[in-house]
Amino acid sequence: MKTISVIKKSTKEQLRSFWVLLLTLSMGPFFIFVYYLITESSKPQYNILVVNADMGNREHTNFGNDLISFFTTANVDQISTPFVVHKITARNEGIEKLKNKKADALIVISESFTQRLFALKNRDSLLTSEIEFVGDLTNTNYLISAVWANEIINRFALESTNNKQIIEVKETALGTSATINEFNMLVPGILIVSLIMLMFTASIAFVSEVENKTILRLKLSKLKTIEFLGGIAVVQLLVGLASVVLTLATAILLGFEYQGSLIIMFLIAALTSLSIISFSLIIAAITKSANEVLVVGNFPMFLFMFFTGAAFPLKGEALFSIAGYPINLQGFLTPTHAISALNKTLVMDMDLASIVPEIIAMVVLTLLYFAIGAIIFNNRHLKLVK
Amino acid sequence: MLQVELQQPIKKRFMEPMIKINGLKKKFGDFTAVDGLNFEIGKNEIFGLLGPNGAGKTTTINMICGLLPPTEGVINFSGDEKKDHKSLIGYCPQENIFYPKLTCLEQLQFVGQMYSFSSKVLTPRAHELLEMLGLKEKTNERANNLSGGMKRRLNICLALIHDPEILILDEPEAGLDPQSRILVRDFIKHFGKQKTVLLTTHNMDEADRLADRVAIIDYGKLLLLDTPQNLKKTIGDGDVLEMTFENSDEKKLDQFIERINRFSEGIKKGSNFILIKHPNIIEHLSEIKNSAESNGLFISEIKLRENTLEDVFIHLTGRNLRQ
Repeated sequence: MKTISVIKKSTKEQLRSFWVLLLTLSMGPFFIFVYYLITESSKPQYNILVVNADMGNREHTNFGNDLISFFTTANVDQISTPFVVHKITARNEGIEKLKNKKADALIVISESFTQRLFALKNRDSLLTSEIEFVGDLTNTNYLISAVWANEIINRFALESTNNKQIIEVKETALGTSATINEFNMLVPGILIVSLIMLMFTASIAFVSEVENKTILRLKLSKLKTIEFLGGIAVVQLLVGLASVVLTLATAILLGFEYQGSLIIMFLIAALTSLSIISFSLIIAAITKSANEVLVVGNFPMFLFMFFTGAAFPLKGEALFSIAGYPINLQGFLTPTHAISALNKTLVMDMDLASIVPEIIAMVVLTLLYFAIGAIIFNNRHLKLVK
Repeated sequence: MLQVELQQPIKKRFMEPMIKINGLKKKFGDFTAVDGLNFEIGKNEIFGLLGPNGAGKTTTINMICGLLPPTEGVINFSGDEKKDHKSLIGYCPQENIFYPKLTCLEQLQFVGQMYSFSSKVLTPRAHELLEMLGLKEKTNERANNLSGGMKRRLNICLALIHDPEILILDEPEAGLDPQSRILVRDFIKHFGKQKTVLLTTHNMDEADRLADRVAIIDYGKLLLLDTPQNLKKTIGDGDVLEMTFENSDEKKLDQFIERINRFSEGIKKGSNFILIKHPNIIEHLSEIKNSAESNGLFISEIKLRENTLEDVFIHLTGRNLRQ
């Protein structure tokens, strides 16, 4: 009953602390957006202009148009080609754009492209089709575009004429560079970043009772420590889950393709939120005001963000292992396990059983943080003065 | 320091004691904040605890509220046996303590719920309290937006929302505007007719107007306990002449006191002032003034007034209360 009253009161206070709430909720989506821009700007992309002069044949087949479609969908050894194809009508227009660096290469498909491919297919003629590449030979982007375009055109020609390649070239991508895109790899960490920001709202929610001295009213009343802390924790948990939902929605809107179960993701998010809230209790226990929280809280926030792999991927040497699960130095911080669990679930599509070690580690650390925080908070702020 | 312990028994009206304090002592390391207090506070009594800053008033109150464990001694409460110690007491601290982001009504409901009351009981009670303390118009206003006087009144409402038997007020009139002061004073008088009120103050006038009985404490010890009228009588009837000097030469002051001793029933010397008590001091005013000037003392202020509780305190401790 009293816990429900604390939840209601804490919710009102949280909603009325509009700017703090807005900052907490917007941090995750903001990070997603920033990382999206970073990965997008660092991703190679080649702009190719195509002039399709192909006249087609009497059966209304136009291989020129088919080739343009093939450009946008073709994969070379499972690697999607980073082409953006712009169809234009005149060669001169393309050259003008190349000169102004608005494109990397110009491809001109000849008038007889369809007819000659048909002739080759039917073995009527041995005349080859002609395609012109135009570009700045000193520009690396042109060279890469030309190599990839050449590969795609050859493949299209072979498929269209039912011929086979004389030499099969196999390309092997190093690491996960071919299968997982960088943005998808970063999203689990940023989901945890959005929860790390909870450290401030949660600490301020706890410490505001001390700062406003309203803790005295609670000490005089029949409220128990666990009811007080539990009520505030529930509200902060909801803030945390809202933050994760907003962050995930932003990521999906920007192209994040998640695997696995969202239920497991929310389970991990809820556990991480509780863990951050418990850690916030330690911060609130050693501070006396929101200002102190903002100063003291910076250190653990940076530690949680940059020492756990939340802000960018991080690997550490295992200090020891428990039942085969390696524990490294950053393993004493919950986000490390949360990110590992989210990566397994959202990126690698692994099931609940595969993240049991992470969940156990998170539960143990959360209980540890809560016990330390509750004891210090109770002794410093709630207990009778000796 | 003069130590007098005159404990008047609780009057008939307050025959039944609400709080019994026996040998109450509180030590912080080597420092003794409260040193063996013994007194009783009756039901329906307004009891004033007077003393200068650092006298041990707040420490005593904190022990009564259960916020501070006594080093020695016991505090017993009577009253509704169904109510536990926490429910019996409503504490209004000197500092305004409220939830700035909640409205007046919301925080009264919340604090009441912390004492296990349902909203059904609390809502009408909150409205009643807000009306009684002149905050009806501010029911749905956030506490942060209230004026200083309103915040103080809200503080009293918060102490009373759980319907306590004992209301403890720490400096209730501190920092209040005249309107709020009258409102709070009237409310305390009204409340004191039904419940027990313990108020601490260093404002003698406040205690004189409000309290049925007053205990004067200093250095953690009880100096006097009686009704304000009886306390004033302990230093005799008559007027008090308060004379403040621009210069404070101790030797000259002593010579002056020696010369005017015959006009007085009691003289108290401060750092740069003296208090002269006499039933008919006005007749000797001119002579006293001339005597001071002839002793080389330059008078900056002369005040003639009736005997007050402050005079009682100065009589007991030899120092001004506001020091």
